[in-house]
Amino acid sequence: MNSSNMNFLIEAILDGDVSLALNEVKELRNAKIKPERIIKEALAEVVVELDGKCTIEDFNLLEIMMAGRVIIAIVEELYTNGIPASQARGIIIIGTAEGDIHDLGKNIVKIMLMGKGYRVIDCGNNCPIEELINIAEKEEANAIFISGLISTIAPQVRKVKSILIQRKLTDIKVVAGGGALKQLPANNLNVDFVAETVFDGISYLNKILEV
Amino acid sequence: MSVIERVTKVINFETPDRVPVVAQVFGHAAVISKVPLHDYIRDGKLLAQCQINAFQRYMYDAVFALMDVNVETEAIGSVLEYRKNEYALIKKYVLSDTTNPEILSIPDPYQTKRMPELLKAIRILRAELGDEMLIIGCVLGPMTLTTQLLGAERALFLAIDNIEKFCEILDFSKTVNLKFGLAQIEAGANLPVVFEPSGSPAVVPHQFFREFISPRLKEIFSIYKKAGAAANWLHIAGPTSSILPYYPEMGVDIANFDYYVDPFYAQKLLPKTCLDGNIKSLSFIEATPAKIAAESKKLLDLFADRGGYILSSGCEIPPESKPENIEAMVRATKL
Repeated sequence: MNSSNMNFLIEAILDGDVSLALNEVKELRNAKIKPERIIKEALAEVVVELDGKCTIEDFNLLEIMMAGRVIIAIVEELYTNGIPASQARGIIIIGTAEGDIHDLGKNIVKIMLMGKGYRVIDCGNNCPIEELINIAEKEEANAIFISGLISTIAPQVRKVKSILIQRKLTDIKVVAGGGALKQLPANNLNVDFVAETVFDGISYLNKILEV
Repeated sequence: MSVIERVTKVINFETPDRVPVVAQVFGHAAVISKVPLHDYIRDGKLLAQCQINAFQRYMYDAVFALMDVNVETEAIGSVLEYRKNEYALIKKYVLSDTTNPEILSIPDPYQTKRMPELLKAIRILRAELGDEMLIIGCVLGPMTLTTQLLGAERALFLAIDNIEKFCEILDFSKTVNLKFGLAQIEAGANLPVVFEPSGSPAVVPHQFFREFISPRLKEIFSIYKKAGAAANWLHIAGPTSSILPYYPEMGVDIANFDYYVDPFYAQKLLPKTCLDGNIKSLSFIEATPAKIAAESKKLLDLFADRGGYILSSGCEIPPESKPENIEAMVRATKL
């Protein structure tokens, strides 16, 4: 079992072929390759490759979704309850803020974070910020990712950092993204970072966690 | 010069008395009339009155009969959640358990859910504001309605996995669009603006837009023109540079462009199409009137020689916007 097997897996993921990718994963596992190595050498590489192909002007969401569907299938095959904290690069809580049900972007970010080896807890859409913060505290998260496509959720987002400070959870970073939120700078939203794209958010995370 | 004459002149690249200004004021009209947004989006008479109040306050060049983007999907069977002082949310998509378009039926715009109320709003606006006012209705583009029937993620996966079935739903959505849009024209709208946010390159690649969305929009616009629409107005926000070149072929007369798109580049891509935009929507909440005035002047200067321009925001002016910011934008065209 060598790097060419990992390359086959990468190709299958990029091709959106779930069954072929799962067969490759099975072979790698039969060869005693550990799940964390599959994540690091195949899934994370796919995310890097997609990042390189996508710009704001030429953002092929369908290609990302096809690969994303395979990434989910592989993570489910390797772990029964998501990537365990002990093997993860970090722990991320993600949700679309209360009052907003748009979750396509949030789901894409979740999958790409999983692909990079993060443990991601998805709080869904229309999610109160208190719930995001409570789960972040319980899971000892590194960051909260908040998504929003509509302008009315900005006031909620501005409160997150203050609540984290009140609760002495100052190590938890807050990242915002989505159509409405990304029109505002980080200082206006009172967050640590505003991500223009999914890959922008991942780069920030990799940087602050030094992974 | 009447509003209609002014807008017609800019569409034809002729010189109007001043540049038209169209503030995309929808729910904000309810806020300044102190009417709950959840009532505004359900009551045609109330909507019309709020739009008239907003027009009388700001004196811009168009009013909108637009409730929210869920009118069509609700009429087809999706379940909405109405929330206090907010736009409605989709609670359950009509196609959340199936992808079979045969369970869908085309709603009658004169009888189904909120559609008749929207038509009522148009009739009142026309009666109250007269024939010289630009009254704009609203229909969802076929791609956007398809995502509103299935949910965006399922719609895109259906496009990947079963393009034939996806296209059946897209065609159903096109028919809904036409029936509702034609009813709006019949009720007195000068045109229905076609909202197609799910056709944005932020959602689908431009090749997908060209192959599957653009031909359907072309058919829609052709039928609206024959039915007497004053112009074909396509509204897609986000980074649309890669799809703007398809607009002339579709018959688009007015192309909305958002803050993502450089106005110079938009002019280059669409040398003979009227453009509207592109002040950042959230700046109407966050910025000062001086900043909006400066941004407006910059855009007016950029388009001064070319013409073919309507000053506007890139997307909806949010309900909670500061009125003085809208006033600043309107004033900029009248200096």
